[in-house]
Amino acid sequence: MRWSPKLRPNGWDGLAAAIVLLLAAACAGMLWGRGAATGGELEVVVSIDGGEVERFVPTDSAGEKTYTSRGYTLHVLVRDGGVEVSQADCPTQDCVHTGWIGRAGESIVCLPARVIIQLVRTDGGSDPGGVDVVIG
Amino acid sequence: MKLTTKQLTLCAMLTAMALALSYLENFFPLSLAIPIPGIKLGLANIVTVFALYALGPVQALLILLSRCVLGAVFAGNMNALLFSLLGGVTAMLVMILLSRSRRLSVYGVSVGGAAAHNCGQVAAAILTLGNTAPLYYLPVLLGVSLFTGALTGLIAACLFQALAHTDLMKG
Repeated sequence: MRWSPKLRPNGWDGLAAAIVLLLAAACAGMLWGRGAATGGELEVVVSIDGGEVERFVPTDSAGEKTYTSRGYTLHVLVRDGGVEVSQADCPTQDCVHTGWIGRAGESIVCLPARVIIQLVRTDGGSDPGGVDVVIG
Repeated sequence: MKLTTKQLTLCAMLTAMALALSYLENFFPLSLAIPIPGIKLGLANIVTVFALYALGPVQALLILLSRCVLGAVFAGNMNALLFSLLGGVTAMLVMILLSRSRRLSVYGVSVGGAAAHNCGQVAAAILTLGNTAPLYYLPVLLGVSLFTGALTGLIAACLFQALAHTDLMKG
């Protein structure tokens, strides 16, 4: 035995746990806080292998879409202003279990297929590819 | 570094145990409760914590590296190697630092290791996907690491207590 560990939890352990909790809260504030911002339009960005393959407004594109990558097929259902992976043949099924997302900042990740479906909020006109006004 | 036969045997046995625990935790899919890619109980971390105190950081690191490489080979998934290596090595470095302070118990060291492991895995996911989207999961993963770290710390503490009077723990 190189050295004996303390086997009962003590105040220092509580401090370590509090630091981890604080770090989690700080990360949540920074990362999730951005999603709570209002204004702009909610868009779905689909990336495969690090490259953006599609971008659409969920409220205008209700229906099913299919993406194939690395031999896996993901069926994506666009509904109620958000998206969900309704069916996939990847081994982990984490993308399906994530369920429906509808808030900016949220994402569905399928690691085996290298597919990311992200919800982003366009910043109202500063995006050169974005739409300023939708008429009709 | 020269290893005695006893140390080498112990390293081999602990590597095998870590691999078995990695396989075993597939039967307790935490991802069903918390749907985050790659989320796990981290039972193999029990071996890492044990090896760190019983054998020292160098041998603990050797066991970890062997487990990561063999785990990826047996699973036939070399993509998983980056995840286990980044997660495992980050956790190991943090646990080495925390255990050196001698103030924290095995619980605190284990929680720190679990949190660091999740940070390493998120970094691996960012590198693999070429996108920072996995960062979104970090707050939940850090929160979960409090429970998974405490669980592995509890099992490691029980293990140390059970083995306290054996030859194994007397070097």
